[in-house]
Amino acid sequence: MIRYALTRLTLLLLGLFVASALIFLTLRVLPGDVALLIGGVNSSPEQIAAIRESMGLNRSLPVQYLEWIGGVLRGDLGTSLLTGSSVAAEIAQKAEVTIPLGLMSLAIAITLSVPLGVISALRRGRAGGTALSVSAQTLAAVPVVWAGMMLVVVFAVWLGWLPAQGFPRAGWNDPAAALRALVLPALTIGVVEGAMLMRFVRSATLQAIGQDYVRAAAAKGLTRTTALVRHGLPNVGLSVISVLGLQVAGIIVGAVVIEQLFSLPGIGRMLVADVGARDLPKVQGELLVLTGFVLIVGFVVDLVHRVIDPRQREAS
Amino acid sequence: MLRRTALAATALVAATALALTACSGESAPAPTATGTPDPDASVAIRLVLEPGNLDIRKTAGAALDQILVDNIYQGLVSRTPEQEIVPALASDFSVSADGLTYTFTLREGVTFHDGSELTPADVVWSLETRQESDDWSDSARLANVESVEADGQTITLTLSAPDSTLLWNLTGRAGIILKKGDKVDYNTAENGTGPFILDSWRQGDSITFVRNEEYWGDSAGVAEVVFDYIPDNQAALNAALAGEVDVLTGFDANLKDQIEATGDYALVLGESTDKGVLAFNQSEGSPLADQRVRQAIRQSIDHQAFVDALASGQTLYGPIPSLDPGYEDLADVAPYDPDTARTLLAEAGAEDLELTLTIPSFYSTTIPQILVSDLNEVGITLTVESVDFSTWLNDVYVNQDYDLSFVLHTEARDFENWANPDYYFTYDSAEVQDLYAQAVASTSESQAATLLERAARIVSEDAAADWLYNGASVLAVGTNVAGMPSVNVNERLNLAELTKSDG
Repeated sequence: MIRYALTRLTLLLLGLFVASALIFLTLRVLPGDVALLIGGVNSSPEQIAAIRESMGLNRSLPVQYLEWIGGVLRGDLGTSLLTGSSVAAEIAQKAEVTIPLGLMSLAIAITLSVPLGVISALRRGRAGGTALSVSAQTLAAVPVVWAGMMLVVVFAVWLGWLPAQGFPRAGWNDPAAALRALVLPALTIGVVEGAMLMRFVRSATLQAIGQDYVRAAAAKGLTRTTALVRHGLPNVGLSVISVLGLQVAGIIVGAVVIEQLFSLPGIGRMLVADVGARDLPKVQGELLVLTGFVLIVGFVVDLVHRVIDPRQREAS
Repeated sequence: MLRRTALAATALVAATALALTACSGESAPAPTATGTPDPDASVAIRLVLEPGNLDIRKTAGAALDQILVDNIYQGLVSRTPEQEIVPALASDFSVSADGLTYTFTLREGVTFHDGSELTPADVVWSLETRQESDDWSDSARLANVESVEADGQTITLTLSAPDSTLLWNLTGRAGIILKKGDKVDYNTAENGTGPFILDSWRQGDSITFVRNEEYWGDSAGVAEVVFDYIPDNQAALNAALAGEVDVLTGFDANLKDQIEATGDYALVLGESTDKGVLAFNQSEGSPLADQRVRQAIRQSIDHQAFVDALASGQTLYGPIPSLDPGYEDLADVAPYDPDTARTLLAEAGAEDLELTLTIPSFYSTTIPQILVSDLNEVGITLTVESVDFSTWLNDVYVNQDYDLSFVLHTEARDFENWANPDYYFTYDSAEVQDLYAQAVASTSESQAATLLERAARIVSEDAAADWLYNGASVLAVGTNVAGMPSVNVNERLNLAELTKSDG
């Protein structure tokens, strides 16, 4: 187990390193730079060159990369070219919106998908099961933006129950308002991600129903449902855990879109704005943190999976 | 300048793709609120484009001028929405007959937001430092100023040559008065003299101003103004329908019925100096170097279609909009006439022309759609390349690597670009450059305007570019809000007289 964990950790660190290099290089492909945006078009080419110089944009790529990654290793994500503020501090501030949004989305996705997935598997072939299954297929295919707009139209515009956009200026000092602001965005991501997860739960459940130990339990006198709940569902749970890493990535992508749509001051919206402004040190820091987060979740999921699934432990 | 221009542009055109149903575009007066103004009110204003930082000395962009000039920072003179030049930190000013000496009387009792008093030394320092600092925006606009001197409260600017644009420039960034040697972090903080004080900035979300209780003039009518940055027009409409904003700028006039149906907002159309410019790269070797080809493109475009699609604004056929000196209706220079266009193209031997339109991605797709179909009609194939603004700056503005480009130029009195052969317009006319130099050197306003008018006609007759429309400031204003400016709000938004009633 320890050997497995160490191997997995090495892979994680390697993944982070490769990701950092890829992030750095791919951003350099973008044309234009922040010096042009700051200088504006009244500035002469000499002035733009001076701004570039003062920002260190004219140094060679390896030097810039080493400087950045050296800072990251010391726990310094760098400073914004535009505002001069600390990237880490900015991310921490925006995380106040994005992390609760992600957790709420995940909670909604799980709450919807697990019971509905199991029910739709048990009712397979019957009208209710088919209806659930078709709904899941449809919802999973819906673009997040469209789902968000529909929810806004219904709950914010028609019913006026929830805010259509924005986050309270007081932030979490006003918890009720902050929560209300996150309900529709989280529901949007949660429903779409939940629909995808539900299809997975359904197929995992169907697989479990067909397993010998479930059939054996049923043969011993349990109803099919009880047999499934007692003996099959733990296995379904394991399968669900293993796709959670993917779900987290999906939720982050969803957050980038949804924060834009709902004008939420989170990491996703900041990322979009910073790419547009070519504030590359900030974009690098943001992407590295997001990538790192997904990789770490994957790492934790793998370890947890191994700890709770006896078959995997024996196999190693 | 272009930077300001282009960015502010988002406001007007962002989401007009919705419908081509044109409601009539006549100007409406700003609504008059009926209730009693509440001095403790907070007003939320939707804006489109958030600034990257707040350093008005160095960072270009209309997003900064829009909120900071007049409200936070002030100059000796300012401008009214009608574009008149009026005293601000100077109580009075005069210009000598030879146009070489400008005399200002500095107000007494003006304080900066940090409490320190405004002194003549601050004024001299601000103007001199700006002039000497190449990395400060608009520093070149003070090029003709030879010296700045203070004698008591009298400030004298001596010029090396007359400059009819100087007073106007002093109403903008070039004339902003800062505290001498201030140590404030201009990126995120401020220290101005205006009626509002910066309270907080939540990046990616909103900027809040509060009333300056120590203001030298009449106090602001509201206790707080919150600028909510909502780029997406649909999100902005939703925010309005949910009652979360009091005023929306950069609104889509096509959504008039939807927002007015609430009974809480009225649509206001104000004039603006926004010019939708279709630039032609006419440098040597390009098919657009031939005046006939450029003229053909202009005559193949149905300009009224843009006004209809935006449900606001008016047609424009030359470089100067109606709010600026030197305006003349030049519709006769390029009337919509596809037949003539085809003839011109044949004469120029430019049949089956293939061109690319490079356009920043934040503009509505309506503009390229109309262009593609109009040009196709006369046998020109137009490929649309939608790029982000940084890319546009790099490819089009710096490298001049484009055929056609569209950008909404919002800045007032920006004719100078047509007299600058190095500008990305690639237009080079010695006659226009000479006329513009004469207009700048003129000591009479009316003479300067006449010279600009002549130059503008030449620019249009040369088909140096096409002007697709002259935009309007489109606002949705809460019926309980009064004193909201409606002219040219993409560029300046003076909120000193804004009030909101509780009713």
